[in-house]
Amino acid sequence: MNLPIDTGKDCARAWEAMPWALQENNPQGQHEWLMEHLAQCESCRAEFEQQSRLRMAISLPSDVPVDVEAGLRRLMSRLDTTDADDMPTRARPTSWVTRALVAAVLVQAVGIGVLGARLWSEQEAHQPYRTLSQNAPPAAPGAIHVVPDATMKLADWNALLHELQLQVTRGPNAVGAYTVVPANGASSSPDTLRKLRASRGIRLAEPVAPPP
Amino acid sequence: MNDVDIDADATDRMLLQRMAAGDRAALTMLYRSYHGRLCRFLSRLTRRPDVIDEVINDCFWIAWQKAGSFHGDSRVSTWIIGIAYRCGLKALRQHGDEPLEDDARSEARYPSHCPDEERELRDWLAQGLNRLSADQRLAVELVYGLGHSLDDVAVIMQCPVGTVKARLFHARVRLRNTLPALAGDTPIQKEQTQKESMP
Repeated sequence: MNLPIDTGKDCARAWEAMPWALQENNPQGQHEWLMEHLAQCESCRAEFEQQSRLRMAISLPSDVPVDVEAGLRRLMSRLDTTDADDMPTRARPTSWVTRALVAAVLVQAVGIGVLGARLWSEQEAHQPYRTLSQNAPPAAPGAIHVVPDATMKLADWNALLHELQLQVTRGPNAVGAYTVVPANGASSSPDTLRKLRASRGIRLAEPVAPPP
Repeated sequence: MNDVDIDADATDRMLLQRMAAGDRAALTMLYRSYHGRLCRFLSRLTRRPDVIDEVINDCFWIAWQKAGSFHGDSRVSTWIIGIAYRCGLKALRQHGDEPLEDDARSEARYPSHCPDEERELRDWLAQGLNRLSADQRLAVELVYGLGHSLDDVAVIMQCPVGTVKARLFHARVRLRNTLPALAGDTPIQKEQTQKESMP
């Protein structure tokens, strides 16, 4: 037997075509060509006979005894045991993935909606957007500018604000001044101003002049 | 693919559609239709009936679950045997430390009604296949036994067509040098020469 490639293109072509000729899957014309070649080439003819015998041998039923009915019964009982869980999965094989994705999208949509509504409501409640070139908004009525001493402790400052029911709305600015307003929304009384001025550690307390 | 294959594939597709709708009768028909082919295919991988049975069971359990997702990109037979191939490899990994041959049956492999000629043919084939690697045996089985194309085999074994060609080529060269000697025809030629001629 000559080698399939070294002995020429025809033998190599015949070698390639043999399995598919045995399958009867060679393209039209290829089978006729192969038969002609086999008629002329003894080595390829011997090879083809051996290939035919190989195909015949390999097509014999399996010699490993496996009971088809017993296997089928085992498969059915396996399906029975998992039927409750498998049926929806089998009917829609990727349903759990799809459902998870849909759930994730819904959660995101709800989250975005809630966040948007919250931002919108906060924007409504707060002051409108203002650029730095615009004039400062007018101070709240009853606002007081207070300049605490640099040595004043934070605890004393907080205690004073708590005592006088004041809250800081702005500051400190470049000179250390804070703007405070009454925490209950009422106008500051002259008494509050007097107490501030009398407090230890307060260097200045002046009511904010209303805009002309 | 000839007309017989086309008809068989159309029937298989119809059965898969019914399986996707939960029809167990269709599963039974497909199981019986493929059992023999899968037994023989898997017997090139292992000789143990219990492992083969387990792999076929796994294969059809997966086919039952995935029937609805079969889009017809390949023949049904290619799809099913591909599943069986992967299940078979998985089973071999799980039973890796156990013998591949069923010792209890190795001596009485053939049924009593097996004619001498068939027995001789089986022995001839078995001795040839024993000299091949598992991948080479499976490639030979898929092409010569089950009649798949190179493209089909590449899909089943999840490798490039070139790899399938190489496996088939080396298997054929080795069988050509082995089988005549087993039949007492000609001496075994050295394989080194053929390896040099591999494209």
